[in-house]
Amino acid sequence: MVRYAAERLIQAIIAIFGVLTIVFVVMHLSGDPTLLLVPQDASAEMIAQLRQQLGFDRPIWVQYLDYLRGLAHFDFGISVVQRVPAADIVASRVPYTVMLASGALLVAIGMGIPAGIVMATRRGGWLERLLTAIVVTGQSVPTFLSGIVLIFVFGVTLRWLPTSGSGDFVSLIMPSIALGALSMSTFARMTRISIIDELGKDYVRAGRARGLSLSAVVFRHVLRNAAIPVITIAALEIGNLLAGAVIVETVFAWPGIGQLAIQSIQSRDFLVVQVIVLLISFVYVMTSVLADLVYAIVDPRIRMAR
Amino acid sequence: MEMQVTDPLLSVDSLTIDIGGANVVDDVSFSVAPGKVMALVGESGCGKSLTSYAMLGLLPPAARRTAGRILLQGEDLAAMTERQFRKARGKDISIIFQEPTASLDPLTTVGAQIVEAYRAHHGASRAQAYEQARQMLVDVGIADPDRRLHQYPFELSGGMCQRIMISIALICGPRVLVADEPTTALDVTIQAQILDLMKKLVADRGTAIVLITHDMGVVADIADDVAVMYAGRIAEIAPVHALFQAPKHPYTALLLASVPKLEDAPKADLATIEGTVPTPNEFGVGCRFADRCPLVTDKCRREQPPLFDCGGGHRSACWHIDRMVEICEVAA
Repeated sequence: MVRYAAERLIQAIIAIFGVLTIVFVVMHLSGDPTLLLVPQDASAEMIAQLRQQLGFDRPIWVQYLDYLRGLAHFDFGISVVQRVPAADIVASRVPYTVMLASGALLVAIGMGIPAGIVMATRRGGWLERLLTAIVVTGQSVPTFLSGIVLIFVFGVTLRWLPTSGSGDFVSLIMPSIALGALSMSTFARMTRISIIDELGKDYVRAGRARGLSLSAVVFRHVLRNAAIPVITIAALEIGNLLAGAVIVETVFAWPGIGQLAIQSIQSRDFLVVQVIVLLISFVYVMTSVLADLVYAIVDPRIRMAR
Repeated sequence: MEMQVTDPLLSVDSLTIDIGGANVVDDVSFSVAPGKVMALVGESGCGKSLTSYAMLGLLPPAARRTAGRILLQGEDLAAMTERQFRKARGKDISIIFQEPTASLDPLTTVGAQIVEAYRAHHGASRAQAYEQARQMLVDVGIADPDRRLHQYPFELSGGMCQRIMISIALICGPRVLVADEPTTALDVTIQAQILDLMKKLVADRGTAIVLITHDMGVVADIADDVAVMYAGRIAEIAPVHALFQAPKHPYTALLLASVPKLEDAPKADLATIEGTVPTPNEFGVGCRFADRCPLVTDKCRREQPPLFDCGGGHRSACWHIDRMVEICEVAA
């Protein structure tokens, strides 16, 4: 188990190192990054001065080592636009995105998994048909549209919920639903498929043969076995939620890192964009490590391997 | 002289199972007495496994019992509600399956699964149930039961998993054990051990066993009576010695002839039965074996033969029992 965890952590470190390198390469791919950082109407002297100031006139490998050294000290550079550390700008927005992503994850898991269980165990009933309709809607309506429809119905027409802003818990409801809808559908479909798959296995029949009811077999045995593919999805979905936040935060004027990313791209504040990309990549890698560790807890075959 | 007749413990009476409009199990009847082993023999798809699932009320959703009774000491299991049947499963009638490893939940220790079976029918504490499980493992010949109880199925061999399945099946002391190809997935040496174990359990506990198999060797080893099934019907049913010595149905005779023998010439062709088993939509009105039978006449194709009583508990569903001599020539 310890060895398994250590292996996963080493793989994660390699993945993160890869991400750092790719981000660096992409930043330098288009040639001189100074041009990305300056306003469009900057003079040639300004550019030359900034290039020297930022060290972009040095050999690329020196810059790369310098970049890594900076990251090791959590120094992500100074925002050219706002003249404060890029990391501080992002950090101030992180709590909002964490709130939004948690809300969306709550919607996705809290509704998706029970819906999947019901769809798998109550096949052919009206409830299954209703849930299937909801799931298909959730996975096929794009987030920007569902966000606007939600605002129109519950914000403008019914006036139940605020249309935008981040004042309180109430203003979190609509963005969470808009962001969580797609994940909810993914969880529901995966849970359903996974349970149906397990229900066909011999141990289910054997469980009933020893006098358990079908629901007892489902709750004691099937759900745990069905959880493994769902855990995989959960890890991927957490990353997807962060990426999806870009759209939802824009639609709902939610001051998280997604909105910041759009603003920073528009104002050509690339060091801030770089921090956001690194942050999201880091979360992606760490959630997949977490998922690997959860597998080991759920499944003794993984835990006790070797 | 009057023969001693024990009342049957379990009787399956005219069981008929329908899948998609075809009677894949058709009017099957047999019974088994305490401490006896009744074997259901036949090729894949002959309905023997469906019969076994029906005995536990565990038919797959597509299959439906359209007629027949399953009498356990006079009580009709087939007439029970799911709730009542659940109380009988594992307690009055148990089953073990062909794939022991797949029949255990891979994420739960085997001990927990045995305990679960015990607690499904007894209001025992966890500790008491574990003690019962431990004793059960000793009874099925597992050394070091305390360690085994806390292991997962993937840590055990197939034979060990089948012993666990037998423990689960027997821990509540059922009167009938259905064994659906219990040794098919196991090594030959392990097969023998499991069969010995089953024989011992029958002797010690007076459990009646319904053994589903396609292996004539297993039948000869352990069964008291045999029902040979073909395409959903019983072709022949008899005490095991009578059936092996003088089969009264062409299918049985050809089946026995197809078992390779040590005295056969090396590399001699294996005896086979011409043709293939009819699929349910090919079932005609007459005898379902007609198309493959060397004794076939028009009557066989027109009319389904009833099970004729040949005496001594030997019955055969063939219009031409008197011509069986010819088969023995064909087979030889």
